[in-house]
Amino acid sequence: MLPLSLLKTAVNHPMLVELKNGETYNGHLVNCDNWMNLQLREVICTSRDGDHFWRMNECYVRGSTIKYLRIPDEVIDMVKEENTARMKAAKNRNRDQNNRNNRGGGRGGNRGGGRGGNRGGGRGGGRGGYNNQR
Amino acid sequence: MSAMLDALVGNKVEIVTNDGRVVVGILKGLDQVVNVVLANTEERVFTPEGVDRQALGLYLIRGDNVAVIGAVDENTELGMDFSTIKAQQLPPIVHD
Repeated sequence: MLPLSLLKTAVNHPMLVELKNGETYNGHLVNCDNWMNLQLREVICTSRDGDHFWRMNECYVRGSTIKYLRIPDEVIDMVKEENTARMKAAKNRNRDQNNRNNRGGGRGGNRGGGRGGNRGGGRGGGRGGYNNQR
Repeated sequence: MSAMLDALVGNKVEIVTNDGRVVVGILKGLDQVVNVVLANTEERVFTPEGVDRQALGLYLIRGDNVAVIGAVDENTELGMDFSTIKAQQLPPIVHD
């Protein structure tokens, strides 16, 4: 699966990020984007040589500075479920939008005796629109 | 171009990174800039005294850092005796 979708699924999970300069950041992923920029919370930063430590509540890491990330093993199993959940949510959003568009008699053409007897919006109330009812 | 690499998804691969590290794992996914997802990753540290293997779990390696990706032949690997392998570590990539 795509690396960035794995990262998106890993939100709220702890992870280790090693930067190109050798520093490591251990924390929970709050957010990420298409450039691999990360927002982490409860972070412990360790210097390259391993003998300096900093603790911060939050930090932002620019994607281009990352060397690699270590992610908990369970995240990879969650990716598939997250994809189906996201697709369902998108489908529901489309369906709701279409239903809203179809109110008030469809698209301008079926009112007042338009075609062969479809007046009053009796039949074909749902016509003139595209319903994603699958 | 990543059609070449898509063929390797699901297989065990060995990745050499720009800092000279060698990691082996199952290639779970990659993208156009060759960011790589590796599962059941193991880092192989070669020293003149022998090989050290460390299990590292799930890895997301940023494409900027990938130098080489190679397919691992499981049979050949099973036949390898790591206790006899001694080697120098690879140096990191230097841009001059």
